[in-house]
Amino acid sequence: MRAFLIVLALALGFGGVAIADEIPPARAGAPTVAPPGAPGVDGTLAPAVVKAPKDRDRTEGKGTGMALLFWACALGTVGGAIFVITRRNMIAAVMGMVGTFIAVAALYMMLYAHFLAVIQMLVYAGAIMVLFVFVIMVLNRPEDEPWALTGLPGKALAGLAMLYLTFRLGQTVWSVKADANALAAPAAVTVTLGKKVDPVTRAISQDTESYHWGSTGAVGKSLFHDYLFPFEAISILLLAAVVGAIAVARPWKDEDSPDDLNEDVPSEVVS
Amino acid sequence: MSTLYLIPAFPLGGALFNLLLGRKMPRWMVHFVAVASVAASFGVVLWTFANPLWHLFAGRQEGQPVELVQNLYTWIQVGDLKIEMAFRLDTLSAVMCLIITGVGTLIHIYSTGYMAEEPRYAAYFGYLNLFTGSMLILVLGANLPVMFIGWEGVGVCSYLLIGFWFTNEAYATAGRKAFIVNRIGDFAFLIGMFLMYMATKDLGSTSLDFATFRDPAAQTAYTASSWFGERYAMWACLFLFIGACGKSAQIPLYVWLPDAMAGPTPVSALIHAATMVTAGVYMVARMSWVFAASSTTMAIVAGIGALTALTAAFMAFAQTDLKRVLAYSTVSQLGFMFVGVGTGNWTAAIFHLGTHAFFKAGLFLGAGSVMHAMSGSGDIMKMGGLRKRLPITHATFLIFCLAISGIFPFAGFFSKDEILAGAWGMSLPDVPRAYAYVLWGALSLAALGTAFYMWRLYFLVFHGEIRADQETQDHIHESPWSMTFPLIVLAVLATVAGVIGFPHLHAWHMPSLLHGLEIWLEPSVTGSMVSQATDLRTGALIGAATLMGVAGIVAAYVLYRHGPSKQVEQFTSTELGNRLYQASKHKLWVDEIYDSAFIRPFRWLARALFELVDRFLIDTVLVGGSAWVVSLFGRLMRWVQNGQVQRYMVGVILGAAAVFFLSGRAARPAIEWRKVGDRIELRAYAGAGLQGNGARLRWDLTGDGEWDLKPEALDRLSKPRKPGEPPHQIEPEKDYLSDPVIVRHNGSVGPYVRLEIIDPLTHKARVVQAYVPMVVSLSGTETQP
Amino acid sequence: MNDILLHVGFGHFLVLAAVLFAIGVAGVLLRRNALIVMMSIELMLNAANITIVTFARMHHDLNGLSFALIVIAVAAAEIAVGLAILIAVFRGRRHVDVDRLNTLKY
Repeated sequence: MRAFLIVLALALGFGGVAIADEIPPARAGAPTVAPPGAPGVDGTLAPAVVKAPKDRDRTEGKGTGMALLFWACALGTVGGAIFVITRRNMIAAVMGMVGTFIAVAALYMMLYAHFLAVIQMLVYAGAIMVLFVFVIMVLNRPEDEPWALTGLPGKALAGLAMLYLTFRLGQTVWSVKADANALAAPAAVTVTLGKKVDPVTRAISQDTESYHWGSTGAVGKSLFHDYLFPFEAISILLLAAVVGAIAVARPWKDEDSPDDLNEDVPSEVVS
Repeated sequence: MSTLYLIPAFPLGGALFNLLLGRKMPRWMVHFVAVASVAASFGVVLWTFANPLWHLFAGRQEGQPVELVQNLYTWIQVGDLKIEMAFRLDTLSAVMCLIITGVGTLIHIYSTGYMAEEPRYAAYFGYLNLFTGSMLILVLGANLPVMFIGWEGVGVCSYLLIGFWFTNEAYATAGRKAFIVNRIGDFAFLIGMFLMYMATKDLGSTSLDFATFRDPAAQTAYTASSWFGERYAMWACLFLFIGACGKSAQIPLYVWLPDAMAGPTPVSALIHAATMVTAGVYMVARMSWVFAASSTTMAIVAGIGALTALTAAFMAFAQTDLKRVLAYSTVSQLGFMFVGVGTGNWTAAIFHLGTHAFFKAGLFLGAGSVMHAMSGSGDIMKMGGLRKRLPITHATFLIFCLAISGIFPFAGFFSKDEILAGAWGMSLPDVPRAYAYVLWGALSLAALGTAFYMWRLYFLVFHGEIRADQETQDHIHESPWSMTFPLIVLAVLATVAGVIGFPHLHAWHMPSLLHGLEIWLEPSVTGSMVSQATDLRTGALIGAATLMGVAGIVAAYVLYRHGPSKQVEQFTSTELGNRLYQASKHKLWVDEIYDSAFIRPFRWLARALFELVDRFLIDTVLVGGSAWVVSLFGRLMRWVQNGQVQRYMVGVILGAAAVFFLSGRAARPAIEWRKVGDRIELRAYAGAGLQGNGARLRWDLTGDGEWDLKPEALDRLSKPRKPGEPPHQIEPEKDYLSDPVIVRHNGSVGPYVRLEIIDPLTHKARVVQAYVPMVVSLSGTETQP
Repeated sequence: MNDILLHVGFGHFLVLAAVLFAIGVAGVLLRRNALIVMMSIELMLNAANITIVTFARMHHDLNGLSFALIVIAVAAAEIAVGLAILIAVFRGRRHVDVDRLNTLKY
């Protein structure tokens, strides 16, 4: 428990450093700035002045520090996961889960998916794990035996298959070579909002904004421009989930929790 | 001739009536129908004999057959084989029909008296009629298959009638024994029939008709050589004769006849004396042309006949049951008949068949009369002195005994003498003369034995003191007229029937009536194969035969005239005598030998098969095994769905792993080539998992291990180097031949082609090799096998 | 070896996601308490999420992030309903032992 907390602190620390220290490197290939107003030769509107966002990454994503940060987050993820599946005490398992989520959030940060990292913390660690804790309080029964050992040959076979699967999966994805460095800052995303008329020069130009890749603005644009319908559908889904959960889990009309009802169907039926 | 079918139809109709409706009919109607149907058949035979057949006979030309044929319909027609359902009445079958229907009518009349108290009266007469009808089909059949119908039919009726009182286990077993032994003979008959078909099938249309067997073309066919250098005729006749052995109780298939005495006595008279057992002799006579073509078979027939005659006579010496003695006598006399046909003496054999029918049937009916008087017992040791009490029976019995012993002028004298003379004068080709003497000697001894045991029987039954107990004695009475009338008729026939078969004497020219049978049968059988004898020889043989008969009578008289013989008892108490007596009494232990040699192994085999095939193979392996397999699949399938969520997850994981596994084996990188005209076209196929068209390629088209270069690179590299310029270098990105599709002239592409594919994503290189034969194809395109 | 450790590329993230997925599968198969099983399912969902985000980053595609967001929302809904069902089951049977909850086979 203690070791876990230490690791957790380390992860948070490094992640915070990575976030805070966002000094953009001097980079070739900065977005070019065209002279405003002049219409192009082919009749299109001239691109407006693009206000480049401040680059915040000074490290270019290289160096042993970054690598160390990654390994710490990986350790936190895997360690927390193993915690979950091996703890007998359910609250301990929940804690392990929370640790995993925090480490995963840090990973998202390293991948420049800031918005998603925060959402991960809020929703997963903040809401879902709380829900788990509440349910643990309801299912307050000491466990007899943590390990499910029935049908062990099948599970052993599945374990071997899983090893093979992981190996193949890892083999396939490991060889993926992309040009960009994983930990370096991605290019900014430009969003076109419409036409803009400059009041001074009366030039018509595209009104654009640029956001950092993975920032709230960029994801918002994507979500509300391109994926508005799924977004609304998700909200209905959540509504349905809430209603369903209440319908399933509410107390019965006559009594609260019958003690002697629904004896177990014997599970030792010969198979 | 359109009324021939009536001859078997009447008895069969009577059988149908009695078997289906007889149970509900009063007794008088049952036996009226039965007797009337046989009598009607007899009438039709007489009428056909007297009118059409006689006229045909009288007006016949030399070598022309005398026959009336009725073709009912075509029974089997397959390819060249065309078998008709046809009846033929020629002179031979006319004789047989007369015997069957005549004696049959008498026996039917006798049965009305003998079986008067039988509860299953209608069934009895139904079977009897059925038998008569089947026998008539047998003798009237125009070809082998129709004869076989009758052959089988009489076998069935024999079984039904022997086991008539089937509630007695022993009687039922006797019926089964008869049928099974008969079946063995039937099987041989079938093989013989098939062999005849094999012999004659190339003659065009084959019909297995008896008339065709006398055609010269057919004769050539079945005298052709077949297996082991023997003629077809020899093998066919051999097997047919084995069938006759079964039906006519010769060695080795005679064992059923003594046991067949379990049936009612009229049945024994009709079936086992007069008609069914003579079917074998009739069949040989019918096939006389074919038998005559094979002297080997004829010799075998005669030999078996003689052996049987002698052996059966021996077995009859020590029997104490009245009907048993008569049964062995029948076997013995049948042996005589087979010697007759075996020596080619067709007329004599048929003559003896006829006379034997009269006196043997008479003997059996007389025995029935005696047993009727003795309240059903047949033990001759308990009889004696019956001649005063049963006068008619006694008188007729005496006549029959004289006939069977061959005493002049009764019928047996003439028929038996003819056979003996024919045996002495046998002249089959390729058979040594000594064989004839052996046959004659055996038959003479058999004749001696015949006379002895028959008169032993006569004296023990009718002479001496009455040995029956008092209660039986009170019931002794002469039989009713329904039983004595047939006896009288048969006695008359047994006396006068000899007139148509006189021996040939050169000195005395006889009217043709005295050789009537021979003349009558001449169109229906092949020529006699007995050599002409001098009168001296004829007379000497007659004298010898008579001597045998008289000697037998005298010996029996001396020993048995007062009843069981004390001299015989003394004889049998000696060592040798006891052995002989036991051998005779136990019938040479033939039944026991058959039991241990055939029956027991067969039972063992049946049991083994039952255990192995039925119990193990079918029950355990096939049935149980199928169930086990099904339940195994059930168990396997049940594993999949046991309600636990984790089990389902296992399934998901296994499926995902399988998908990965299988997709890894999918299309590997390969080279595909084909010939287009005189060029070869090579295609590179990148496999799954590689980015298809983006892959970088390198070819080695000549198989020399060096990657080929593009033509431009070759040009560049082969240009001479200018001074000061660095040596030409191969630029790996641009210079190598990397087209996905390559077309080259045939012959310029080496036998082995290699291809290197570099995956742009993983930068891994894979080398694939293919064999491209450098052969020019003459036409068009040819794709890779 | 040093290269793999010191130069972190996209492959590292993806392999990490695969390992996390495997651990989640192990948890589903091996734990008896249904609650832990559901947490393991969450682990598997997270692993998938990491993969999506990594690929989005690799191809500089924002759509992936939206997708990941929706996955998180769906996971939340699923957990809510699942836990409600667990509570109902517990109310009836007084246990949430997956080995004994096998009446689906009928």
